[in-house]
Amino acid sequence: MATTLRRLSRVLGWWLVMCIASLPVWGILFGLWPDEDTSIADLSRLLAYQGLGLSLSQSMFSALFSSLVSLYLAFLIYSQYQSHSKVGGPWLEKYLSPLLSLPHLAIALGLVFLFSESGVFFVNGDIGLPRKGLSTFIMAIIIKEVPFFLLILIAVGRQLPLHGWLLQGRALGYDISTSWWLLVFPNMLKQMRLALLAASAYTLSVVDMNLLVGPNIPELFAVSVYRWQGSFSEGDQALGFWANVLLLVLLAVSIIFLYCHEKLAIKVLQHWTVLGRRIRLGFVDTLGQVWLPASGLLILLMVLVFTLWSLGFNWRSDTFSLRNLNTHLWQDEWLFVALPLQNALLIGVSAAILGIMFTLLALELQRQKGRYLPDYIWLLGILLPQLSMVLGWQVSHIWLEGGYHSGWVVFAHFPFTFGYAYLVLKGPFQSIDANYELIAASFGYSPWQRWWKIRFRLLFPATLSAFAITFAVSIAQYIPTLMIGAGRVTTITTEAVAIGTGSQQDVAALYILLQSLLPLAAFLITALLSSRVAGPKHSTLEISRC
Amino acid sequence: MISRRFSTKLIGLILLVSLSISNVMAEDLVAETLDETSAKWQQTLKVAKGKSVYFYAWGGSKAVNEYLRWAKREIAKQYGVRLIHVKVTDPGEAVARLKAENGRTSAIDLTWVNGENFAYLKQHDHLLGNLWSSIPNVANLAIDTLPITVDFGESMDGYEVPWGIGQFNLIAEEAVFSNAQFSADDLLTIARNNPETVTYPRPPEFHGSTFLKQLLVNLTQGDERLYMAATEVAQQDLLPKLWAYLDTLHPYLWQQGKAFPTSSSEQFLLYQQKSLSMAVSFNPNQWIKEKATKQIPESSVRRSFIDGAITNSHNLAIPKFAPNSEAAKVVINFMLSEQAQQLKFAGEWGDPSVLKSMFDSRSSLPAHGEPHSSWQLILEDAWQQRYGG
Amino acid sequence: MLSIKNCLIDSETWQIRFPDMQLDPDDLLVIIGPSGIGKSTLLHWLLGNQPKHVNISGQVLIDDQDVSQLAVENRHIGLLMQDVFLFPHLSVEDNISFALPKSPDLNSKKQRRTKAHSMLEQINLEHLGKRYPQSLSGGERSRVGLVRALANQPKVMLLDEPFAALDPSNREKIGKWTFQQLAQQAIPSIMVTHDLKDIPIFAKQLNLADYYQSKETP
Repeated sequence: MATTLRRLSRVLGWWLVMCIASLPVWGILFGLWPDEDTSIADLSRLLAYQGLGLSLSQSMFSALFSSLVSLYLAFLIYSQYQSHSKVGGPWLEKYLSPLLSLPHLAIALGLVFLFSESGVFFVNGDIGLPRKGLSTFIMAIIIKEVPFFLLILIAVGRQLPLHGWLLQGRALGYDISTSWWLLVFPNMLKQMRLALLAASAYTLSVVDMNLLVGPNIPELFAVSVYRWQGSFSEGDQALGFWANVLLLVLLAVSIIFLYCHEKLAIKVLQHWTVLGRRIRLGFVDTLGQVWLPASGLLILLMVLVFTLWSLGFNWRSDTFSLRNLNTHLWQDEWLFVALPLQNALLIGVSAAILGIMFTLLALELQRQKGRYLPDYIWLLGILLPQLSMVLGWQVSHIWLEGGYHSGWVVFAHFPFTFGYAYLVLKGPFQSIDANYELIAASFGYSPWQRWWKIRFRLLFPATLSAFAITFAVSIAQYIPTLMIGAGRVTTITTEAVAIGTGSQQDVAALYILLQSLLPLAAFLITALLSSRVAGPKHSTLEISRC
Repeated sequence: MISRRFSTKLIGLILLVSLSISNVMAEDLVAETLDETSAKWQQTLKVAKGKSVYFYAWGGSKAVNEYLRWAKREIAKQYGVRLIHVKVTDPGEAVARLKAENGRTSAIDLTWVNGENFAYLKQHDHLLGNLWSSIPNVANLAIDTLPITVDFGESMDGYEVPWGIGQFNLIAEEAVFSNAQFSADDLLTIARNNPETVTYPRPPEFHGSTFLKQLLVNLTQGDERLYMAATEVAQQDLLPKLWAYLDTLHPYLWQQGKAFPTSSSEQFLLYQQKSLSMAVSFNPNQWIKEKATKQIPESSVRRSFIDGAITNSHNLAIPKFAPNSEAAKVVINFMLSEQAQQLKFAGEWGDPSVLKSMFDSRSSLPAHGEPHSSWQLILEDAWQQRYGG
Repeated sequence: MLSIKNCLIDSETWQIRFPDMQLDPDDLLVIIGPSGIGKSTLLHWLLGNQPKHVNISGQVLIDDQDVSQLAVENRHIGLLMQDVFLFPHLSVEDNISFALPKSPDLNSKKQRRTKAHSMLEQINLEHLGKRYPQSLSGGERSRVGLVRALANQPKVMLLDEPFAALDPSNREKIGKWTFQQLAQQAIPSIMVTHDLKDIPIFAKQLNLADYYQSKETP
């Protein structure tokens, strides 16, 4: 009886997680289903589009380059902080919170305001960033992705016996930095694969940031796709269809590239390991040391600028005095943002918890089966182009006549929170030694009790990181919230994004700050909690004293 | 100078012709309008009471948002109708939804629309018709003086109602743009003398495309073929002048024409930060409102092309399957009331009125009709082909 | 009392027919043999954890009750491994409390912690109670591991290379102490080791290699 029940629940579980995992495919199929008048002629029209080649290659380059550089930088920083800092992980996590909280667009906005030609800190010469250009775009992406990768590295690193590996390496006469790269990196790289895929897919398809700081002669491909898809001029919808298909091809190519990169990187490192080679990074090492303080300072400056703007400060106006600062705007808008903030909070918490629950279910089912499905199956929500996907959901949602309420919006955020939860939790989940549960079993605990009291508790710090990330992901959703909520459900992001398309920097800045508030709270609270939850089995904190 | 005077005259002529055409149509429309006291309108008011109207409208302007907050309060007070502003980043979002709904009950009761989006919605039968004959205040529209019966070549035919007026103008530094009106040649001189401070939003962005149209009109002395469907011959005759001009102009533009602002908003921000000497706008009163709120320096002025500002309307439409179409009509009727139009113009927004009684030549610029809509796509495609890659 | 009957370890290329045997409460059986012969696998099978690479069949009886079909949690068998797997999220005291059996006089958190504390006191380790496993030395970990295993009052104890991670001086001391504890509680035990120095004189010895049969035909 018990076994039948267990089997039944397992079948039901598989059915559920497969449904969730297939939602993105469902969306793409419905959302991309071509109009009758789409033809191959339209495809050749797309291919003849002026500047397409350059646009595609720049998109591809920015996606791969920025995610790989972010990864290597993050690992460099992680290894240095773990080796040299007495405070280590929990402190680092808290420090990352503000870096993670500002939306992508805000970083781009702040960056050009501070460093572009007309910017505050622009020094004539080669120091400034172009107001619009590939380098500015890549820079903004890297600033945003490095803390994200760091957070995931921390979650992954907690479950690995880093201390032991490093000790072995050093015992064999390798310096600490070489030990990190030769012994730890190959192991962590595999666990970072999903984050890499997510970051490059994001860069490939991000629009808002691209519009603001990306090059536009030619524009990056995501912008063209977005423009055609959102335009109802003659022929644009057909172009939009083919452009989306092409975007899917780009995504596939980038996935293949990242897999190859992983294989190659591990091979090269193995080769060096066998040769017993020492790794000297020179000035790059310094970059790792200054990156976090520098980007912390940068974010601080940005927040300061946004705050001043929201208080009515106009950087370049003729009359500029601190006395003109006022809180009118905050007082005016406060009445109108309470509800959107509350909605965002509720939706974010629900979507994050739902995403984590189903991720754990998917991971547990695969563990029991003893075989893990390919990662991209679970990450489709993050990898596939969002607009087409959500269009498909919108069509289905309209068919179902389900009404427009927060529940549906949560459901529309769910595939994204699920994807991000999966990418954060998979590594830590797999790294948990099954012997813990075996020991608990020998004490008479049932499978359920073991799972809850041991596996889940061991995973708890990683779950906290996953919660903060998925919560922030949910808060940032604009397209699903608007398209499924149909304006009945407004969040701080639907307000902020709409106001961001205008030219009032004071209101825009105010909403950027408000929008960052909830993720900041989530990152801070979870960082505080995870430093209180005793858990990491393998402490790396003592290395510096060795 | 001679050519300039000539072109002004010609444009005046064309405007007269086009206005008289619209007059003919307007007469039909006016004949069919509804009286506020009629039983039909009373019925509409009754049905509307207690209903909610979801209004899809761009949410990027604080002034517009504030205005709609005010309208929401007034409409609730006066008619018991709840107006909800669904803030979108682009009108295309409403079009995409109506396309997805494909005839099912809509989530949209009212939408802010014009141009290609309107044409698409009308052609695909997504809009409720007969608005002009079922909303009383339509009778007060200034159809005799403003080009507000045709929307980018697509006749409104009662599928949308004009709400406000857009006129292409520049907000500029007085020291750089010293004359109230300028020609293409003037602009080139200005760009030469003030390199990297002049630019325009990257077409096919709406303002950018209009900028090209204004240049084309000026460079061809308002060739009459621009107001007809673009033929091959006309293109070969007229377009080379524009390309030759742009080839000369671009090196003097912001970023040497290697990048353009993505939107008028972005260009405005660059102007605010003093990276540029000019911004583009479709609101002829934006400059004065921004000055009043100290968003831009006192030295900012409004400038327009010597041929007159390309003028069009932005409009309100009700989806065919809007659940609360009667309430939406009540909202439109309110939006066309003197009270609402007055505040729209006099308040922070500054959008010109569409009412006869409030037509005020000081608030608006000399108008120039839109070239035929076929030119827009041709300009955008050719621009992309020449400069976009 | 533990009995093992008809036990057959069956791999693709070899098999081991384990002799039937019975262990009384005071007995300690030490299984030796070369690496890779299936010593640990056998322990895991006894515990109820089916190994993946080989097939093991047979019966396990505890106090004459056949537990072969029971899941790990119902067998009342304790396991102590080289890495004792103290739960890192629990303090030493809570690790022990976790292992305490359910009984009416051990219902509240306070009762269980008091009990755990007193168990630590008995071996003079009460100062470790509030500490977390990461901060313990190897020897301390081994001892806490055994206390935790014993706290569960297992009917049989399995030890899988329990002292391999300890340095020689500790190793002897802790080994002696462990066997003493097991004897005090009168728990039949099986230990797997490949270090002959670990084996106390009173233990029964069994070399798995003696029962090894290759399946490969020449």
